[in-house]
Amino acid sequence: MNGTMQNSKPLQTPEEVAKRQGMWLTIVCLGILYVALFALDNFVKPSKFTLMLIPVLKKGAIYSLLCVSMNLLNGFTGLFSLGQAGFMLVGAYAYSIFSIPVAQHASVYQYFNGGAIQFSIPEALGNVLGVDLGNFLGAIICIIIAGLVAAVFAALIGIPVLRFKSDYLAIATLGFAEIIRAIFQWNGLGTITNGSNLLRKYTSFSDMKFAIGGQVFKFGTIFPFLIAMICIILIVLLINSSYGRAFKAIRDDEVAAEAMGINLFKHKMLSFVISSFFAGVGGALLAMFQTTVQASAFMSAMTYEILLIVVIGGIGSVSGSCIAAFLYIACSEWWLRFLDSGKLPFGNIEVSFFRDGFRKVVFSVVIMIIVLFFSKGIMGNKELSFAGLIRKIKSKKAAKAAKQEEGGAA
Amino acid sequence: MSNNVLHVENITMQFGGVVAVNNLSLDIPEGKIIALIGPNGAGKTTAFNCITGVYEPTNGLVEFMGEPIVRNHPQGKMKKNYKGENGDMYLGHVVANTPDKITKLGIARTFQNIRLWNSMTVFENVLIAKHMNAKQNVFSATFRGNAKEEKRMREETMELLKEQGLDKYKDEIATSLPYGLQRRLEIARALAADPKLLLLDEPAAGMNPQETIELAHFIHEIREKYNLTVFLIEHHMDLVMQISDYIYVIDFGSEIAQGTPKEVQNNQHVIDAYLGVVEDE
Amino acid sequence: MIDFLHNNLQYLLSGISVGGQYALIAIGYTMVYGILRLINFAHGDVFMVAGLIMIYAIAGGLPMWLAIVLVLVLTVVLGVVIEKVAYKPLRSAPRMSVMISAIGVSYLLQNCALYFTGGLPRTYPVIPFLTKKVTIWGATTKMVTIVTPILTLVLIVVLVLLIKYTKIGMAMRAVSKDFETSQLMGIKINSVISFTFVIGCFLAAVGSLLYFSNYQTVVPTSGAMPGLKAFVAAVFGGIGSIPGAVIGAFIIGICENIIKGIGQNWTIFSDAFTFVLLIVILLVKPTGIFGEKATDKV
Repeated sequence: MNGTMQNSKPLQTPEEVAKRQGMWLTIVCLGILYVALFALDNFVKPSKFTLMLIPVLKKGAIYSLLCVSMNLLNGFTGLFSLGQAGFMLVGAYAYSIFSIPVAQHASVYQYFNGGAIQFSIPEALGNVLGVDLGNFLGAIICIIIAGLVAAVFAALIGIPVLRFKSDYLAIATLGFAEIIRAIFQWNGLGTITNGSNLLRKYTSFSDMKFAIGGQVFKFGTIFPFLIAMICIILIVLLINSSYGRAFKAIRDDEVAAEAMGINLFKHKMLSFVISSFFAGVGGALLAMFQTTVQASAFMSAMTYEILLIVVIGGIGSVSGSCIAAFLYIACSEWWLRFLDSGKLPFGNIEVSFFRDGFRKVVFSVVIMIIVLFFSKGIMGNKELSFAGLIRKIKSKKAAKAAKQEEGGAA
Repeated sequence: MSNNVLHVENITMQFGGVVAVNNLSLDIPEGKIIALIGPNGAGKTTAFNCITGVYEPTNGLVEFMGEPIVRNHPQGKMKKNYKGENGDMYLGHVVANTPDKITKLGIARTFQNIRLWNSMTVFENVLIAKHMNAKQNVFSATFRGNAKEEKRMREETMELLKEQGLDKYKDEIATSLPYGLQRRLEIARALAADPKLLLLDEPAAGMNPQETIELAHFIHEIREKYNLTVFLIEHHMDLVMQISDYIYVIDFGSEIAQGTPKEVQNNQHVIDAYLGVVEDE
Repeated sequence: MIDFLHNNLQYLLSGISVGGQYALIAIGYTMVYGILRLINFAHGDVFMVAGLIMIYAIAGGLPMWLAIVLVLVLTVVLGVVIEKVAYKPLRSAPRMSVMISAIGVSYLLQNCALYFTGGLPRTYPVIPFLTKKVTIWGATTKMVTIVTPILTLVLIVVLVLLIKYTKIGMAMRAVSKDFETSQLMGIKINSVISFTFVIGCFLAAVGSLLYFSNYQTVVPTSGAMPGLKAFVAAVFGGIGSIPGAVIGAFIIGICENIIKGIGQNWTIFSDAFTFVLLIVILLVKPTGIFGEKATDKV
């Protein structure tokens, strides 16, 4: 920042030191996380505990990405869009269509003569590179295609929709999501989309494995984490760039942003397309997770769910979205399951009103409480980072030292 | 006419049945400070909004450095109950420039009711104005391929903040600043867009006499320093009379007088418009 | 032409009928939007809950007339409570927060319904008068098909008169024109808003009686689609305009049933069509058929 300190080793402000230390700490923690995930996949014996934990981790990672991508649009650009489920659907379908092995087409597309698309990217790569690597690279390529297809849909939808203001934008994007859902369920496109039937037998997380020296190493849990992390890092880089600042300017005051030379349509479109790209990637991961996809499942309720997670985490906070996503998934798939089962988790006490659906009632009440009384969510618009923590600890120490000095002087 | 930075010709802006600006023509010569005055509701801000592209005027023409930047609706699209004059002039295709394009050409503005980005720091508020002219795209920005540009933007912003005496507030949230500084920040933000013409919408609103005098010096100063032409709307007559080279007076959307401060002060229409209706704030 | 009409009379009739039911819901949307500038995402779910109340009231052994009264009263109470609890505290909050709150309420109502029904479709009780079979010009249909448009129109005329000639109606018009100023002029905003919700929910309850008599089952998501369609109808007619909402609702109801009539393969688009219509109207005439244009002040 300072022009005079360009050459030799620049002096670093405490700010920069904290930033660097924070970055290293983050990298170390992520390293530990990935080692732990690898161990979980390969060396830990499956038990009741891991059977709950692994799906929660996978889905949590996927939902983190979905929430962050929605946050980019709703939280950072201020565009209240409710089209997320539509773009996820596009991504999920694009992914599955291109990764169903050719031999399976006859059974998957049984009502449509085996479908129109007669190739499979993972399989084609597998023929050249071996099955494992083929599956891995093929899945990644299909995921990228999923994102791109979703982005193309977003670009087309954005042209009319982004002219609308706040609530009209919300209802129009919601409408387009429903239109997409109808198109993908339409039998007229059945040779590609399989109409209203399931798509299945495509490459899923369980195919993410490598045989090394006779032993098979599984990467089923690491894979969604890796993809989600890369995507989230990209989004964070974007948010902290010049374009991210322009997005925030649009969110804070559109008129001022336009008066300062920011092309509203172009920037809104960018944010919309990029967010949809990642929604498509998230949709593809979700398809891998579920092992089957069906268009009818991608209802607006799915968008609402993601939106509410974003609200819980804090609109305008990436780390908040991630924390909330994991919390939400862990609670709904695991920790609060007992609410549906009729028994308390401890002892053996039967509670008559704990039956199917009670968990969701509790959930929605909690969500309403957050919306009404803690509208900032977990993180507000702040970020959780090691750099921030270090800075805080240091400033506290400094304050303490200053106090002591004062005390000493007196 | 060649040294006119801005040329406004017969601008009319009609909202429903109300003609907010009626057949207004202005010329802003290069390097001068020109004021637009008039009683409350005379249509001053609407005129600004027509020039900066926030509104599309119903009729008329605006040229900036000889280039048309705003032109009327074509006749077919003009309001059916058009109440302005010269309804048949300036036909042809519409030059519909959006505010961002006009700003890029070199007109920057401030707002009557300060419009800073309220979640961002002082530094960021100014930095964003540099966004439009930076050589970058969304990929280079995301992957930090624009490090040089980013560095340049940050340095220029810092320099500008220092020049404006705002550098010590750089990490404060913009809207937490005192009112006077917010006004100054808004001007700094406009300057960051490297304008040739600066439009100030009531820069002295809410300021006390001392601050107003300072503002007058400040406006002179930035005009010299950044080679600007200044066009301002103002209610403080002392300020207007002190700094303007030329004044346009409008009332009910139409021009009632123009001239040097002295001429305007002695103009009977102006005295009527002001004394007959309102006060001086 | 006559032949086409005759062959498709079945669809046309049910279109008019569904249109009337949408109209009753759409008024709730359009009035709330007109006053609070809020898309009340929960309104469709209130409509669904009205259906469930009826089911449980009859299952609880209440006589038909009492059950109907109960449905009307409880639905109105529910609507007012939602407004007081979920929207009123956020009156000065950004618009996005209120909309999120509305989505939250919708989520809550759906999940409560899921809990109480156990996720199973519940059969709507038979209201003998409404489900009687009648034959018009060769098309057999239920009585409800004929009752709906008539009842809808009567209710709407009453509503329009109410808004035009009563004091509270005048207050409502004032508030929808300018929220702040009417507050300054001494209009009790909160009672006006409550009254709006009372009317909206009352009409939604009437709509639910008619709608579910026709469709016979209620599931937790029953309200979502009719709700969205009714909202689209409100946008189509120009948000804030009651006649607009009604005309929009009839157009949507008729069109979607005609699409159903075209062929099995197109049924899937009967819902999507509504949204296509929405986007077209927003592009061509963003203010709807009867809407007024508002300019943002800079």
